[in-house]
Amino acid sequence: MLTRRGFVRVAAASVGSLALRPFGLLPALAQSGANYRALVCVFLFGGNDSNNTIVPMDDASYKAYTSIRGSLALSASELTPTVYSAANAPYAFHAKLVELASMFASKELAVVANVGSLVQPLTRAQYQTQQMPLPLNLFSHADQQLQWQTSIAQGNSPTGWAGRAADYIESQKINSSSFPVFFSVAGNALLGTGATTQPVAIAPGGTLQLSGFNSSAASQARWSALNNLLTLDSGVSLAQAANDTLANSIGDATALGQALAKGTPLKTPFPDTPLARQLQQVAQIIQVASYLGMSRQVFFCSLGGFDTHAGELEAHNALYPELSQALAAFYAATQELGVAQNVTTFTESDFSRTFQPTTTDGSDHAWGSHHLVVGGAVQGGQVYGAFPTFDLGGPNDTDTRGRWIPTLSIDQYGATLASWFGIPDTALPAVFPNFPNFGAQKIGFFGPEPGS
Amino acid sequence: MKTLLYLILISGPGFSQTANPTTMTDRAAARFLDQATWGPTPASIASLEQMGITGWLDSQFSAALSDLPDQAILASDGKSNNDLGPVQAAFFQNAVTGQDQLRQRVAFILSQIWVVSQVSVHPAYAFPPYWRIFRDNAFGNYRDIVKAVTLSPAMGTYLNMANNNKANPAKGTAANENYARELMQLFTLGLTELNPDGSPVLDANQNPVPTYDQSVVTNMAKVLTGWTYPTAPDATAKNNNPAYYFGRMFAVEAEHDTSAKTVFNKVVVPAGQTAEQDLDTVLDALMQQPTMAPFIGKQLIQHMVTSNPSAAYVQRVAQVFSSANGDMKSVIAAILTDAEARAGDDPNAPVNATFGHLREPVLFLANLVRGLNGTVTAANSLNYYANEMGEDLFNAPSVFSYFSPQNRTQGGLLGPEFQIYSTQTASDRANVVSAALYGSLDKTTKLDLSPFIAEAGNAGDLLDSIGYVFLHGGMSSNLARAAADAAGAAATPTAKAQAALYIALTSSEYQVVQ
Repeated sequence: MLTRRGFVRVAAASVGSLALRPFGLLPALAQSGANYRALVCVFLFGGNDSNNTIVPMDDASYKAYTSIRGSLALSASELTPTVYSAANAPYAFHAKLVELASMFASKELAVVANVGSLVQPLTRAQYQTQQMPLPLNLFSHADQQLQWQTSIAQGNSPTGWAGRAADYIESQKINSSSFPVFFSVAGNALLGTGATTQPVAIAPGGTLQLSGFNSSAASQARWSALNNLLTLDSGVSLAQAANDTLANSIGDATALGQALAKGTPLKTPFPDTPLARQLQQVAQIIQVASYLGMSRQVFFCSLGGFDTHAGELEAHNALYPELSQALAAFYAATQELGVAQNVTTFTESDFSRTFQPTTTDGSDHAWGSHHLVVGGAVQGGQVYGAFPTFDLGGPNDTDTRGRWIPTLSIDQYGATLASWFGIPDTALPAVFPNFPNFGAQKIGFFGPEPGS
Repeated sequence: MKTLLYLILISGPGFSQTANPTTMTDRAAARFLDQATWGPTPASIASLEQMGITGWLDSQFSAALSDLPDQAILASDGKSNNDLGPVQAAFFQNAVTGQDQLRQRVAFILSQIWVVSQVSVHPAYAFPPYWRIFRDNAFGNYRDIVKAVTLSPAMGTYLNMANNNKANPAKGTAANENYARELMQLFTLGLTELNPDGSPVLDANQNPVPTYDQSVVTNMAKVLTGWTYPTAPDATAKNNNPAYYFGRMFAVEAEHDTSAKTVFNKVVVPAGQTAEQDLDTVLDALMQQPTMAPFIGKQLIQHMVTSNPSAAYVQRVAQVFSSANGDMKSVIAAILTDAEARAGDDPNAPVNATFGHLREPVLFLANLVRGLNGTVTAANSLNYYANEMGEDLFNAPSVFSYFSPQNRTQGGLLGPEFQIYSTQTASDRANVVSAALYGSLDKTTKLDLSPFIAEAGNAGDLLDSIGYVFLHGGMSSNLARAAADAAGAAATPTAKAQAALYIALTSSEYQVVQ
């Protein structure tokens, strides 16, 4: 396999030199500014019960909601004041999502209703008779997490949709350096694995710098020995996989270190929470994107703890402020950096949860889920798609517990984001192979398609 | 002998035989110990060579047990004591110095299949008793593990077995499906039926056959209703006790769903049984499912020996699992003595590039400290590094543990441990090596490089001493050349030893156990 950065080979050729050449970029005053676009995924691990993220407040819906959800139903005091969509429909967010409700009201946040993994559009009857292909291993955390990342409901995809989008961006040389398009601040994620692109991951506030080296001849000899070893190609093997990652780390360390040195502290205050620290790190990378030669980037963040089979209300009371405040701080930081129009943040999660509660004041694994899209380019203040009918055993239910069959697919959600990001329609089927099964219909949260 | 081995290996092909073919070679012993323990040491290599594999396994099966210390329920401020530090430190101390090496390796593997995490089980005192289930049953029977975990209060909290009451029609609630689902998906059957060789059973349309569907999950949830936490001393038993983590959960029949339930493979749990009768019915049925042997067996192989075992290897281990009815001693011996595990003992055997597995962080740390003659105290903070590298002990991010047995490298090979090997953690690993050699790992852990420094006057001897402990008796010529280059540029014996060790221990040849 190729090491993407190529630089390691260069370093090996100039034995003894610590003056590493990162990628032969440099800034070229790279076209950040108006042309820059970033997608930021916030993955809510465990399966967020989005039935309690946003609640439709028309009388019929709210009455059904309180009656069926029982111990999980949010009362008026546990909800934000009612906000109205552009279509004048009333909604309320969980009270701990007050910043999100505010961004909805100021049209910086859109809600996409009942999205999930699908091979093709599906009715309750089709689900129950299993006459249509279903996503592989529905209701399984591992499988549904991966399907949200691959957008291939049939399962077993070795690449993620952002990775395939990154393959396209890199093949078109849209960025002016070979720094990877996909940047995780939350560990490895299949979302960003492509056929050729090789993601970079750092911990918030972390560094990839290798310690213990200095300019002495002995140290330089050790450095060269380390890098020489990494250039050896051992074919498809686990050793090669390990070498590739360390070689990439060494290459990225230099580029990242040089770029981050150009940054200035953000004025926007971030809460001291794990998700906020991740998003703060993302904002700091975006600030120096031009020094990395990047005009297209995808970032990956995550927040865990959403597997609320029991004690759900307490869990949400802890998780939702972290989510809401971190998203709000990050949006404010993009405003500070003048790139609010250029950055779109979106949520993913394993699945939503049963509308019917468990005996332990929680909810079980379900399917279609409501998701959040935030950014200056987003046509916010609207709910896209349709809420399910709150009826156990009703038209949107798989069975009798309120596991909603999605009415929008991950492909449609992802393709809308990827299209804004710069993947042309002609390239979308390669990134989202199932997208044509949904009539290649995007969701309108970036506004109407030109010419549509 | 050591020097001779090194010289032959570094000079390329031609190595043929050890002096006495009936004696276990250093290479074979070190390889075996890398699969079966927390890392070879000169003493453990000598011991294995003297006992032979069978004798060594027998001695390990009867070795005295290491323990993790019980923790106070309350901290000094009267609040819950959530400090896992002493438990994590004791874990590393046992791994580095404990005599029951194989038992601890197996217990740790089982704890990664049967995850309970402090993410949602906060009190520190919950963890030593939970971990003892795996320690005490590592050489026992798999069914006993299934039952002990199912009724453990720690799992009771983690996946909500505790206080999972039967459905309440008046309140419109249903039994919690959490433990029911993961018991099948993660702990016993997996998602699809498997042939004995681990390949999926396919239906007429070439689609994998699921082991269960949603209705089975719903029914299994009913089977598992009606258990609550042990009653704390001085407390009064209630139908839904508050959390208490010593002892076993007990049944509350009033909260158990006694209807008839159809579960996996159309097994019917009859109406009218007690909670424990229902549980035993499904546990007996689970042990009869042919899928369990390859499902569990393959994961044990992946943790100990290789990420990409051949179908035949999986089948041989599964066969032992089935015929021995889940006897763990038989399964472990079958994994470690299998021809595929042992093939690489012969330095002339063709190298299978897909063989082996990446050392996970905890294994890497323990191996590093053992190989560098480390002494650790109960105050060690080695878990700091494990956490940094993605494997915080007793604090996995979810019930899916730190990494998935199905995770693949970008090259397409199975590589479970690669799920937590990123550009960040790759550099973290190198920096752990740097800290160990050039600084210190923590305030109390002492490493001793003197055996390597003593050999540093001669490059061959130095590399030989490193290879003996860390690389199964020898390095590839490429690694030897790089390590020799680094050592050659260093001035003092200490610096030469440090430089050569740095190159060896950061190399993929060491990080991937082959």
